[in-house]
Amino acid sequence: MAAAAAAKIAEVRETTRVERIGAHSHIRGLGLNDSLEARHVSQGMVGQMSARRATGLVLQMVRDGRIAGRAVLLAGQPGTGKTAIATALAASLGYDTPFTSMAGSEIYSLEMSKTEALTQAIRKSIGVRIKEESEIIEGEVVEVQVERPATGVGSKVGKLILKTTDMETVYDLGGKMIDSILKEKVQSGDVITIDKATGKISRLGRSFARARDYDATGHQTRFVQCPEGELQKRKEVVHTVTLHEIDVINSRTHGFLALFSGDTGEIKPEVREQINGKVAEWREEGKAEIIPGVLFIDEVHMLDIECFSFLNRALENEMAPIVIMATNRGITRIRGTNYKSPHGIPLDLLDRMIIVPTKPYEEKELREILSIRCEEEDCQMTDNALTVLTRIAKETSLRYGMQLIMTSYLIAKRRKAPEVDVDDIKRAYTLFFDDGRSVQFLREYQQEFLFNADDDAQMEVEDVDN
Amino acid sequence: MQNWLNQLKDAKKSAIADDYLKKVHYEFKDGRELVEEYNLQTNVVTRRAWRTKDKIGNENEWDIELGDPEPRFGDESQMVIKENASQPIISRRNTKTNLEWRIRNLPYPIETYSITCDEEKKCLTVKTTNKKYFKNLKVPELDRLGIPPNQEAISFCHKYNTLIITYKKPSELKELDKATLELAKEVPTKPQVFDQNNCKPS
Repeated sequence: MAAAAAAKIAEVRETTRVERIGAHSHIRGLGLNDSLEARHVSQGMVGQMSARRATGLVLQMVRDGRIAGRAVLLAGQPGTGKTAIATALAASLGYDTPFTSMAGSEIYSLEMSKTEALTQAIRKSIGVRIKEESEIIEGEVVEVQVERPATGVGSKVGKLILKTTDMETVYDLGGKMIDSILKEKVQSGDVITIDKATGKISRLGRSFARARDYDATGHQTRFVQCPEGELQKRKEVVHTVTLHEIDVINSRTHGFLALFSGDTGEIKPEVREQINGKVAEWREEGKAEIIPGVLFIDEVHMLDIECFSFLNRALENEMAPIVIMATNRGITRIRGTNYKSPHGIPLDLLDRMIIVPTKPYEEKELREILSIRCEEEDCQMTDNALTVLTRIAKETSLRYGMQLIMTSYLIAKRRKAPEVDVDDIKRAYTLFFDDGRSVQFLREYQQEFLFNADDDAQMEVEDVDN
Repeated sequence: MQNWLNQLKDAKKSAIADDYLKKVHYEFKDGRELVEEYNLQTNVVTRRAWRTKDKIGNENEWDIELGDPEPRFGDESQMVIKENASQPIISRRNTKTNLEWRIRNLPYPIETYSITCDEEKKCLTVKTTNKKYFKNLKVPELDRLGIPPNQEAISFCHKYNTLIITYKKPSELKELDKATLELAKEVPTKPQVFDQNNCKPS
């Protein structure tokens, strides 16, 4: 019985897409209450109360959408949750508010200039909500058929029968459509609309004719009339595109020349100007709405002086998004110059920013984070093991501590233990070095490594001899 | 009628032709494109297709107003949703005196159908008593003239799984056809020569 149940669970897992676990996949939001105060542990976030509250205010600013071109700097030591806060902010934004995340070094490319890369990133962070007529199919589901090929390989075959009070039609479904139908759990009796171009499904409710199918229905079940007339209609649909997407569409060369030009690359400033004009026109006519989003630049000290001065100017544009930057540097050289500056950012740009500091975690907070990560990575750990791990994370770094979760879990699995114990952590700790021990090791055994500093001295001596 | 003719006159025109067929391409000021195909032996429009741009600047696919739909050789894996091959399809074909619709894959007997004209929506409505098929047919030729459709002009028959709807052209439309044909004939034409021996693969 238990075995059968387990087999069933495995089967279910197979059908839903397996998601991989990233460094910040446990974060679901900023964990703030309604008055924007940070809850101590919430939505995967722990501690960093003042930084989270500050980010909450930034979030409010983005949501209001009235302020353009503000810059926020998240500054703090490595492993204090800067990227986590940015990820949390992205998760708390609405589904159609654009959030672009990039690393500072991404702008260095041979294909386009640095400023072009930055401009594209900025324009990716501005959304335009447009009303447009589009073909939709609206009807009551009569039947859904999804068949897998008998051999197990090849694509699935799907059919959908929809009806209105006046007609009935059989549709063939593509692979993506089958997936979303299964995911939405569409069944006969539902009244749905499908966007014919994008395949987006939205469920309007259940048909009145099926109201007596079940004795018990959830209180949120909505009953609607079966639609009338034709299944396919043209309806006004609202959708969001970014300015960059509009740029790309309009800078495409037409005709056979399109074969010779790449899809990306640089976009002419005239095209951008023309589009800005058009968008402004739509906005005045009430046809479009601008949604300023967020641009997040991680490792911002990797930008050089030219980028910083470009950003200075770009932030003044009224179409600019809110730019959030993160850095873990102290007073250091600005890239491309010999000047030193706090965070490696020129003072004039720093002056335009509001700076949110992140502080190192307390031991209690480290423990919370590690236990959240254990849950995320599906590891059971004893309390003692968690205490040891917290100590290790405190002594070395939080990242190293998180690395030990999976490794010690695998060690525990080898001895068929359901839970990770102190010994497993110890074993993982001896197997894998943290940076501190690695440095120490190098100091002790430097002589035996290739190209160590003493080699140079030796070679010089040999040269003199010859 | 003048309105439509003026639009055609103002449009950027180009044409190609061989012995039997003349294709005329119109580019209107608002960015729409129209292609008409004339059969030079009967002087009847055999095809008419439109292409429009959406708001963002994307080009839509050709929308076939008249003639058989374009065969599609698209990548099947990109398909999102489409009607099953067994479902009714509509194709249009006009003659000198009539507008015609053919709805194929409709197996029901002739008493099932009723075709009425909806003056408010300016379209013909096809209904079936068994509630299996329903369609509002637009009549773009009459729309351009600004005449509502007339119930008297409609007749229909059912043969070989196909419902054929015939609408008798009013005299105004016949005149317009004549005028547009003349306009089309005036468009400077490049000859379309098909040389069997000159097949360049690229």
